[in-house]
Amino acid sequence: MLLIGGFGILPKLQAQSDLQISKVFDQYGERKGVVMVELSDEMLDGYDFSLFKSITIKNNRAAADFIRKCLIKDELGAKKVKQVVANGVPTSIYLQLPRKGEFYRLILFNETFKPEHKITLIYIESKNDSEDVLKLILKKK
Amino acid sequence: MRLKFRHKITFEQADKLIEKYYDGYTTVEEEKLLQDFLTQTNLSAKYKPEQAIFGYFETKKQKPAFNIRPYIRWTGAAVAILVLAVGIQTFAWKNSASYAYVDGVKITNKNEIKTQALASLSNVSADNNEVEQSIENLNDNGIMQQQLDVFSGQGE
Repeated sequence: MLLIGGFGILPKLQAQSDLQISKVFDQYGERKGVVMVELSDEMLDGYDFSLFKSITIKNNRAAADFIRKCLIKDELGAKKVKQVVANGVPTSIYLQLPRKGEFYRLILFNETFKPEHKITLIYIESKNDSEDVLKLILKKK
Repeated sequence: MRLKFRHKITFEQADKLIEKYYDGYTTVEEEKLLQDFLTQTNLSAKYKPEQAIFGYFETKKQKPAFNIRPYIRWTGAAVAILVLAVGIQTFAWKNSASYAYVDGVKITNKNEIKTQALASLSNVSADNNEVEQSIENLNDNGIMQQQLDVFSGQGE
């Protein structure tokens, strides 16, 4: 039972490993000027998420470039891509990825320049349709 | 109280009965007496042939020798499985537990983690004007329509 329980969680851990953005969390997650959050099941009640990971990086243009490159690669496998472009640069990107196993996967990216340069990258897994999740998140205050 | 003697017959009687036995004249009762006599442990060696005849040296059932090897093997396997299972659980727990890193410092306080998570969500949610505007046009036609409206002068 322990074994089954133990192995049962592995697919969840591996679900994002095929994505380029997983490198962002690995490389920048524990650096200064960075806030990284991972929420597991017990803290996700009310959101219907299975996994929530976010990273906010301030004043780091190199990181922004790196994230964009990762997103470009992850976009290739995305089911839906939505972007908000300001001055020719996508400031918000939403990637709805194909369902993997029982989870819908979603990547959210936002970049702001005022009052300071700030990048936010969020990765979400949910059993609910990613379209619904996206609407829920974007309207949630 | 009656004392029960171990030697129901004397050595002399036994010798006579043995002789009689070999001659084939012993009764069933006499043979029983003889058998009882021969089953004693402290008899001299001269009675060994007769003891053998009467089954005293009956081959003892050989108890299977206690072999610890299979037990070690199974115990080892059980321990290995347990360690593996606990390891996986620990790994899974460590990786699934909620946490936050702020400037490289790990935070496990649930309230702080939640605050940080909500803060990151708010960055991409309706608090951002640009995003809010785009939410209303989230379907592909909406975005296209918005851009087309700019050209037709209705977007202003």
